[in-house]
Amino acid sequence: MKGFTVTTNKKWFHTSTIVCGLAIMVLIVYGQAQAWDLKEAAKPYKGDTIRTIGEALPPLEALDKIKTKFTELTGIKVVVEQYAHEEAVDKVMLDLNARTGRYDFIIQPHRELGRFAENKHVVPLERFMNDPKLKDPDFHPEKELYVNLWKEISWYAGKPYGFPFTAITMFLWYRVDLVNDPKERAGFKAKFGYDLKAPQNWKEYKDMAQWFTRPDKGFYGTAIQGKRHVALWYEWLNFLYSFGGDVLEADKGYKYGPIIINSPEGIASLDYYKGLLKYSPSDTLNYDWDGAMAAMQQARIFECIMWNDATYAVEDPKQSTVAGRMGFGMVPQGKGGKVGQVEGWTYLIPRYSKHKEAAYLFIQWALKYPNQLEQHLNGGASPRPDVYAHPHVKKLTYSQAAMDTNSAALPKATFPESPQMTDIIVLALSDALAGKKSSKEALDWAALEIHKLLGDKAPLKYPVK
Amino acid sequence: MSSNNWKRILLDKGTSPLFLTPALIIFLVLLVGPFVYMVSLSFTDLSFSQPGRDGNFLGFANYRKLMRDDPIFWESFLTTIKFVFAAVGLEFLFGLGLALLLFHLIRGQRFIVTLILMPMMMAPVAIGLMWKLLLNGEFGMLTYYLRKIALMAPQTAPLSSYKLVLWTMVVIDVWEWTPFVTLVILAGLMSLPREPFEAAIMDGASPLRVFWDVTLPLLRPIIALVMLLRGIDAFKEFDKVFILTGGGPGTATELLSIYTWRINFRNWDFGYGSVVAFMVYLVVLIMCSVFYKGITWKRGIEELRA
Repeated sequence: MKGFTVTTNKKWFHTSTIVCGLAIMVLIVYGQAQAWDLKEAAKPYKGDTIRTIGEALPPLEALDKIKTKFTELTGIKVVVEQYAHEEAVDKVMLDLNARTGRYDFIIQPHRELGRFAENKHVVPLERFMNDPKLKDPDFHPEKELYVNLWKEISWYAGKPYGFPFTAITMFLWYRVDLVNDPKERAGFKAKFGYDLKAPQNWKEYKDMAQWFTRPDKGFYGTAIQGKRHVALWYEWLNFLYSFGGDVLEADKGYKYGPIIINSPEGIASLDYYKGLLKYSPSDTLNYDWDGAMAAMQQARIFECIMWNDATYAVEDPKQSTVAGRMGFGMVPQGKGGKVGQVEGWTYLIPRYSKHKEAAYLFIQWALKYPNQLEQHLNGGASPRPDVYAHPHVKKLTYSQAAMDTNSAALPKATFPESPQMTDIIVLALSDALAGKKSSKEALDWAALEIHKLLGDKAPLKYPVK
Repeated sequence: MSSNNWKRILLDKGTSPLFLTPALIIFLVLLVGPFVYMVSLSFTDLSFSQPGRDGNFLGFANYRKLMRDDPIFWESFLTTIKFVFAAVGLEFLFGLGLALLLFHLIRGQRFIVTLILMPMMMAPVAIGLMWKLLLNGEFGMLTYYLRKIALMAPQTAPLSSYKLVLWTMVVIDVWEWTPFVTLVILAGLMSLPREPFEAAIMDGASPLRVFWDVTLPLLRPIIALVMLLRGIDAFKEFDKVFILTGGGPGTATELLSIYTWRINFRNWDFGYGSVVAFMVYLVVLIMCSVFYKGITWKRGIEELRA
């Protein structure tokens, strides 16, 4: 037998080297994957209690339901505090500034991200994401989440500060049973000359609002969220974006840019929005999202623009008289195309958290597919596209509208002054709806006030006389 | 040694300030301290939301901004003045009327007083929610009857109408606080001496004359006191307005308390917010001194005559 030498068996030697190398790599990767185990990773934190806070709505209620599984797996207890929207934000703001470290992770609307990040109240996630002891090798956020949504709601100035808790957008709610009613269809067609259907554009939206407004029967075409409340701003943004307008000319939430809120498109959107008042219940100027949702749940309106994390409640027969009679779709189309506005609540870890690692493990665990699926089916609004492909999720009447809007949602400002800017816009809109100012006067005033707030970072694109 | 002597010794040895100390500490820590802190903040740029605004000294810049460049503050100030005058004025009129009625209605007085005190005993939040239902534009009972008797247009809702909403708030405040005014004035009426009334009647004064020249002057300190208390309270009104309208529509019900809350706890701008809060304090202080003059006015005249 000829002796084995590298020179004589060069080809064989090279092949076997490559095969061995690959095998070793596979073994290392597989070994690592096998080696990482949540139970093991959580061992140092066993017995700890981590506390979070968020808005008392179905997504958080759903998280509250599944948290015990995490405790069973890891021995880490999770406390979920649930409050109304503004209370949840205020409590966090006070806690962060007092640096008490009460909350180990927080769930907050992304419009607040700028002031948390700029004031260094929250920590970037890179250090946890790159820590082999904490990183679950099976979790790939860049592949598994809606990446645009993740970057919009949880990133600030190019750094990841969190993961999306929900993918919340606003879309059209309408009464599909009325659309399919032959009597209504015939009457509508006779009056407007086209078929009654889910409104696709703003003309159809208004026509249908007009058709269904029957004050003598206590039934109205629509309801706007006209209370002087942040809900007003959120709702109007859908109209503004769809009409082709915006607040600032900037492509990222953390960037500043010229003020364009008083553009012709902006004014047209507010004029249109005000025009819906006559097709809304008489106290629509005192409705926030809860008021408008209640009007729909009580079968008092035909259509409205509403949040996707509230759809669960309107389709729940225990809470709603119109469950099973609802239709959902994207916000009607305007000059700005088919768009929506995105508002995710995001998981963040405060700098003062006493159990950052345990909090990261929980967040990572909560975003895994089975947990997201369970949370979504119990009222969540998952930021994972694969959840929407599940047959049970597909069956939900609002899934398609949520998916369509998620992929066409436009960003909004997240820089530190954004909540003050929002406050200015809310007041301007409320003044316009109350009839104190015309749409142009109100938006010109808002543009000036925003300019005063942001200074040279946001020049006026449409000068105000 | 008798107990009186012990007391004298304790007082003589200067122990009385020692007993005052706990109350003084509480006063300094809970009232003077926060007030001084608030005033000191008003000269800074402290903000919880803006990076870099860590409480840098600004001098009078915040005060200048308030005086020259904040029309919303002044609008809010005017709204508050309207609210306070209308609410407290009506509460006084109704309170005095009811107190006189109850004073002369000996039988069942205690029962009726207990009954009319009920609104005052309710939590402001509960009052807000109750009126929210009563005034709901679609199914509110009051709205329904107001429309039925044509006092309100069919498509109008009291809490959504820019013209009606402030006066609706006044009505709710009058409903809640008239019983308090009634109670205090009734107590005052009961404590008045009989002699001046008997003398006036013997002199042949008509009931109106007795009321005008005897009852009202004798009640003046009580009236001034109750108006002072109600004035301060109405000036700080927050809960009901916050629950019912949030300050809207527009700025229709943006009272100074709501505005102060908005600057401090919506915008987290504590530097400027402290100036606004300080102004509220200043107005209340002026109001207190005016009413205090009202209370001590008669005593001053008497002392002058003596």
